[in-house]
Amino acid sequence: MKRRVAISMLGATLLCATALAQSSPLQLPTPLEKDLAARASNVTEVTLGKDMLAFAAKFMNGNDKNDAATRQLIEGLDGIYVRDYEFDKPGQYSLDQLESLRKVFATPEWTPIVHVRERNSGETTDVMMKMVNGESRGMFVLDAEPKELAIVLILGPIRMDDLGALKGLDGLGALGAVPQMQQRGAKPNTGAKPGDGKGGTQ
Amino acid sequence: MELEGMEEFERELKQALERMPAPPGLKHRLMVKKQEQFAMRRRRVVWWQRLAVAAALICMLAGAWTWRNAEQRREGEEARRQVILALRITSRALNQMQSQLAAHNQDVQSQTRTGSLNEQE
Amino acid sequence: MASDWQPDFEALVDEHQSMVFSLAMRMTGDRGLAEEIAQDVFLELDKHLRRIESAEHARFWLRRVTMSRSADALRRRKVRGIPLWVRIEENQAVQVEEQSSPLGARLERLLSTLPEAQRAALVLRYQEDLTPEEIAAALGTPLATVKSHLQRGLMLLRAKAASHLKEYVRGT
Repeated sequence: MKRRVAISMLGATLLCATALAQSSPLQLPTPLEKDLAARASNVTEVTLGKDMLAFAAKFMNGNDKNDAATRQLIEGLDGIYVRDYEFDKPGQYSLDQLESLRKVFATPEWTPIVHVRERNSGETTDVMMKMVNGESRGMFVLDAEPKELAIVLILGPIRMDDLGALKGLDGLGALGAVPQMQQRGAKPNTGAKPGDGKGGTQ
Repeated sequence: MELEGMEEFERELKQALERMPAPPGLKHRLMVKKQEQFAMRRRRVVWWQRLAVAAALICMLAGAWTWRNAEQRREGEEARRQVILALRITSRALNQMQSQLAAHNQDVQSQTRTGSLNEQE
Repeated sequence: MASDWQPDFEALVDEHQSMVFSLAMRMTGDRGLAEEIAQDVFLELDKHLRRIESAEHARFWLRRVTMSRSADALRRRKVRGIPLWVRIEENQAVQVEEQSSPLGARLERLLSTLPEAQRAALVLRYQEDLTPEEIAAALGTPLATVKSHLQRGLMLLRAKAASHLKEYVRGT
C-alpha cells in the first residue's frame, strides 16, 4: 500500500515536472543546453512567465524613470526567458550548435530582422521577431561572442513605443533601438541573409 | 460606694452585651454567595483565558501577515531584479549587434569611396 | 505549631458567626446591614484563608475586619445623609421587643447612642471581654486612646442610664 502511494506520488511529481518543463517556451535542445552549461564558467538563467512579470511590475516604482518605462514594457508580455553563458576561453561552442539554436525559430511566424556576422572575430548576432497579423508578438535574440553566448526570448505583444521609451536609459538603451531596426528590417534587399557568412542586415 | 456601683453597672453591661445568635440561615446564604462568587471568579478566569487566546491568535495572525508581506516584498524585489537583468542582457546583445553594424557600414563606405576614386583615376 | 492548623471555612463560620454578627449589629444598629457585613467579612476571610495561621489569628482577624467594615458602613451611611440616630432607634425599638431582659435591652439601646469610637471600645470590652491592649490592636488605635474611650464611654453610658433608667436612678 505504502509502495503504491509512493509510486503514485512519484508519478504525480514527474507529471508536474514534465508539465512545468513543457510550459517553458524557450525549448532549447536538451543536450545542447547541458553541453553549454557544462562548458560555461558562468550561467545566467532567467525564466519569467506572465504571472511573474505581472508580480514584478507591482514592485516597480512609478516615480523612477527606468522602473516606469520597464513596467510599461513588461505589463502586457507573456514571458521573458534568458540564457547567458560566459566561457573562460573562446571556442567553447560550435557554429553547428548556433545553427541548431536558430533552427528552433525557423518557423513561418518568426521573421529574421537582423543577422550580423563579424568576419574577423566570428561574432554573430541574430534578431528575429514573431509577427501575428502585422503585430509583434515576440522577439528572439541570439548573440554569440567568442567568450559569451546570450539567448533571449521575449513573448507577447511588444509595443514599439514602449521599447522606444527605453532609449537612453542606463543599461537598457539598446532596446530602444529595436523599433528602428524593425523598420529597416522590413525593407527588402537591404543586406545579407542570415547565415550567409557576411555582415549585413535583413 | 461609688466603686461598687460602677462594678455592678459593668456586670450588668456585660450581661446586656452577651453575643446574640446569628440570624437563622446566615451560614446557608453565605455559602450560596460564596458559590456564586466562585462561579463568577471562574467565569472571569475563563473570560480572561479566552481573551488571552484571542490576543495570542491575533498576534500570530498579525505576525504571519507581516511575515507574508515581507516575504512577498522580497520575492517581488527578486522578480524585479530578474526582469532588469534579463533586459540588460538583451540590451547588451543588441548593443553588440549595433556596434557590429556600425563597423560594417564604415567598411562598406570606405570600400565605396576607394572604388569611386579608382574609377576617377 | 501554627503550621499544623488547617483552616476549615465552614467550621470557622459555625464558630464565629455569632461574634461577627453581634459586633456588626451593635456597631451599626441595623440587622440587615449587620448580616450583610457578616457575609462580606466571611467572604473576605475565605479569600485570605491561606494567610490565616491559627484559630486565634482567625478570631483576631475576624474582629478587626468586622469593626473596620462596620465603621466603613457607618461612614457610607453618614455620607448618604441617612439620619443614623433615627435608624438606630427604629431598629433598636424592634430589638427591644425581642430581648428577654428588658434592662439589658434598654442598656444596649443607650449604648447605641454613644459616639462610635467609645461604642466600639465598650463593645469589644464587654461583649468580647478583651483587654485594653487587645482592643487597641483590634482597632489599630493607641492604647491611651482606647483607655480614654473606655473610661469616657462608661461614664457617659452610666450617666445616661442614671437619667433614663429607673433602676439606676434609684441606685445612684
